[in-house]
Amino acid sequence: MNNFSAPQLDPLHPRRHLQQLQTPFGARSVYDSISFCNRCGSCQQACPTFLQTAQEPCSPRGRNQAARLIAERKLTVSANRELLEKMVNSCLLCGRCTQACAGKIPTAQHMLELRRTLHTRALPFLLHTLLSWRSRRPARFGRWVKMGLFLRRWGAVKIGRLLGLTRLGSLRWINHADDILPRKRDRQAQARWKEFLAQTPQTPTMIYLPSLEAEFFMPQLACSVLQTAQNKHRVRVWTNTASGLFEYVYGDLRQSRRQVRRLIKRWEQEGRLPLLTDSVDVYLFLRAAGQLFDRWPHWQQKADSFARQVRFVTDVLPKKLAAPVSGRVRLDAGALFLREGEPFDSARKILRTHFKKNFVECFYKDADAPAFGYSFVRYNLAAHVWTQAVRSAARTQTGTVFTLSGLSALELGFYLGKLYPYAKADHLARLNG
Amino acid sequence: MKIPASVWTQLKQTAGEENVLADEVSLSLYSYDCSLSRTRPDAVINVVRAQDVAPLLKILYRHHIPFVPRASATNHAGSCTALNGGVILNLAGLNKILQINTRQGYAVAEPGTITGDLQDRLAPLGFFYAPDPASERVSTLGGNLAQNASGARCMKYGGTIDHVLGTEVVLPDGRELYLDRSQGGPDFIGLLAGSEGTLGVITKLKVKILPAAKHIKTFLVTFPSLAASVQTVSDLAAQGIIPRCVEAMDQVTTRAVEEFAHAGYPLDAQALLILELDGTPAQIAAQEKALESICLQNGAQKFIPAKTEAERQKLWFGRRAAYAAMARLAPNVMVGDGTVPRSELPRALAKVRKILDDNHIFASLLFHAGDGNFHPQIVFDERNKPETVRVTRALKEILQACVDCGGTVSGEHGVGVEKRAVMAYQYDKPTLDLFARIKQAADPQDLANPLKLIPVDYAEKARVAPALSAQEAPLARALQQGPCVIVGANTRQKTKASNRVCSLGLNRILEIDKTNYTATVQAGVSLRKLAEALAQENVFCLLPRKDEGTLGGAFASGCVPDFYPHVLGLEALLPDGSRVRYGGKLMKNAAGYHLTRLFAGSQGTLGLVTQLTFKIFAQPVPAAARKPFAPAEGNALWRAIKQQVDPHGHLPPVPGETHE
Repeated sequence: MNNFSAPQLDPLHPRRHLQQLQTPFGARSVYDSISFCNRCGSCQQACPTFLQTAQEPCSPRGRNQAARLIAERKLTVSANRELLEKMVNSCLLCGRCTQACAGKIPTAQHMLELRRTLHTRALPFLLHTLLSWRSRRPARFGRWVKMGLFLRRWGAVKIGRLLGLTRLGSLRWINHADDILPRKRDRQAQARWKEFLAQTPQTPTMIYLPSLEAEFFMPQLACSVLQTAQNKHRVRVWTNTASGLFEYVYGDLRQSRRQVRRLIKRWEQEGRLPLLTDSVDVYLFLRAAGQLFDRWPHWQQKADSFARQVRFVTDVLPKKLAAPVSGRVRLDAGALFLREGEPFDSARKILRTHFKKNFVECFYKDADAPAFGYSFVRYNLAAHVWTQAVRSAARTQTGTVFTLSGLSALELGFYLGKLYPYAKADHLARLNG
Repeated sequence: MKIPASVWTQLKQTAGEENVLADEVSLSLYSYDCSLSRTRPDAVINVVRAQDVAPLLKILYRHHIPFVPRASATNHAGSCTALNGGVILNLAGLNKILQINTRQGYAVAEPGTITGDLQDRLAPLGFFYAPDPASERVSTLGGNLAQNASGARCMKYGGTIDHVLGTEVVLPDGRELYLDRSQGGPDFIGLLAGSEGTLGVITKLKVKILPAAKHIKTFLVTFPSLAASVQTVSDLAAQGIIPRCVEAMDQVTTRAVEEFAHAGYPLDAQALLILELDGTPAQIAAQEKALESICLQNGAQKFIPAKTEAERQKLWFGRRAAYAAMARLAPNVMVGDGTVPRSELPRALAKVRKILDDNHIFASLLFHAGDGNFHPQIVFDERNKPETVRVTRALKEILQACVDCGGTVSGEHGVGVEKRAVMAYQYDKPTLDLFARIKQAADPQDLANPLKLIPVDYAEKARVAPALSAQEAPLARALQQGPCVIVGANTRQKTKASNRVCSLGLNRILEIDKTNYTATVQAGVSLRKLAEALAQENVFCLLPRKDEGTLGGAFASGCVPDFYPHVLGLEALLPDGSRVRYGGKLMKNAAGYHLTRLFAGSQGTLGLVTQLTFKIFAQPVPAAARKPFAPAEGNALWRAIKQQVDPHGHLPPVPGETHE
């Protein structure tokens, strides 16, 4: 039974929400977690949107307080929907505030909860529909992506841009997608990827869950990850398989739960093998899969054991790396929800060991890339944050910026090419060639 | 409060349509700061250009609309909430560093500049800005001045008040004023420090920057008792060793921090000191030996120097993690801020621990041992009303205990609304009246951050003032009776007026305190006599040793401006015959307006200074430069305060105004 007297963001739809959030100091109800904000303001200067606007509604403290006032019924959603949507969608979900916070308050998770309360769709309709097919209609999704890429190769997007069609609000995302996606097909990598897929091992020791961008747009990344993993493991690839993260961030939490359940079932059927991912966002999401099932202890138990088997590329990268990279390098820690912890520490350690003095430590206010498609939500604000990221790379005269997700590498690569062509961006996994 | 439609239009025309907000979400999100105070304003204006502030204030003044300047709102005192409604002026966008001049040692910046950002810009140039509040990564230069913030380096370098060289301020009626320490007259920058936006809006600051120390060494020392640790700090001062930082924590705090941060702090010690020395390697080596011997003399259990930079960072990590260690335990952390004379610290801390235990409250206790400033960090859940009431009550008791130990209710966090009531416990009625008159002078309509700092209805609750002494009573009567000119030995002013009121009768050296290193001296004492008395005790002060005239004259004439930061407390007679008493043996005081700075250089226009408490040193210090006496240049603020303090013109008028 739902307890209506307890402060909640959306008491009428409890299943669309998480009941409890996993924090570094244990599980807390969403309201408790929001209430732990002491309004000390330590997070303010860590937030890229506050640095840009200098306004409280665009700051982590402001966002937390708004969520708290809604939960306490001191601020009504219906009367302030537009402003609240603007506020919620301005959040990058980057977790820099959590890093700066003494109480490690997960503001990004609070904003997702608020987004679920508002039932708002952050992404443009067409893009949202297309991406939502990945978990519900994977085959259809694959066909549409391939068709889109085919049309792009034949100039459809160019014509659309010339005619001004892509300037229309709902089609504007096509511009950005066209900007960031590679212009040339890497036929060699595609061929290798197909080869890899054809050689499915009979007794695998690891499962590789490629991210959307690795599978469809960056075959060279998928090949690198697979090749690296194959040094020690016999790897089976789960092609065109959604992780449930898209629904968790942009869609319906129930759909996300369904997708993760599917993953867990399949994982159990295939022998509970370690599951490798190339996207830090997916990694962080699946590592916390248990919190999705806070109402179902049986599933939570399963999700926890599943989460323990999730691996990131830093876990499989060898100590001696092959790829020669000249100039200075740095790590872009842009990720969803978190910026500190295991994968980030490992990635820094790898880069520090490999590049020694050429590895540039980041300044505390250095902007990181907005993660997981934020550019499609608030293009202008994201462009500013990207510019800041490029600026900080330029200030330290960095030659290569390594990212922890393919999408970040694509987006940062575009902005670097535009503003600071001396540098390039690449996924960390590509270090191994 | 309802803002008329015509005013909205004017505000939008001035600040920009998109910068004037009145929606429910914005108003709710500007209703708080880091305290428990919450009040919703009627409008929020995002100020994007400093030059917009004056026209905006003129509009608000014309329509009697209160306003509250606000930047990062990280204060713990409730200084940024709009108690009377009105407008929040969000100055966070004014965050540009305009100039850094390393040759002349200053930087010019807008008030919303983050203090940490300035430090980051100065570091590659080999300079630093001395005030280092713990919140420097998020707090602003303007906010630091408005609250007179300071940090771990305060013992050696002083607080924000001592590091601002000039400031542009807009008075509540929209008049712009440039205040510079070189102008002479009362130290109005000192008056603005800790004024919490009640006197006007700061729009630009010129701050002092110093060459950074190239060599720093940090030590961790543990003691079997708090008293031993405090005595060590006094002994260090006696030896002339002023550490760059002296941070301390008690055993409860050490245990909480160690559990969280694993900084390697010993858990068996009752008190723990983190000391830091800076200077040349030879200086550090010499001081280190003396430091170790003093610590061991006082029964130090462990003396651990940080051998590498990593070890040094680890020592500091634990201290910095103290807040985080508390923040993870409960939703709210209330950070108290009391200051007592250094010698009273063990007694005050024992009282604080008892109050906390009596109220069943868990709190850590950190203190800046060099300044007698302590911060109980109380964890609680504000959703639990009885607990919140208990915590609020305990904090009030702590501050009262602090005042009972000769201390102040705020050392560096300010008063705001949370400590407003206890101000009446600290100050007597004439002093609170003077605070109210200063506020009335700068802000006759009570528009600038109203209802802050000064307690409401304090007449009956105010501390009882002791009666005037036999020496003071005739002086008070003379001031009350009619036009007069205040003189000491009349060596500087050289007035020939017949209606002189002379302070020479106040000629006693009341106390030379070699524990706190302060001297309390009546104003009529001659500088020669003072120098002799200090020499007998083998202590020194900054005042010129062979100068003519009296202590009061040197202070009020404006001839020795470098002495102002050394004055910690003051008593003065006002033209109405009342006596004000401010400060004492306190190294820090952020409660109320800085009266020591108001009377410094006031040239007898505001009242007669009868007694001063100032810093003394165990080692010889270079004497401050002495300037020839010259009438200071008046300004609008000085004249307004004079009008309030001396409405019948009993004292000479403020000199002509040239710096409007």
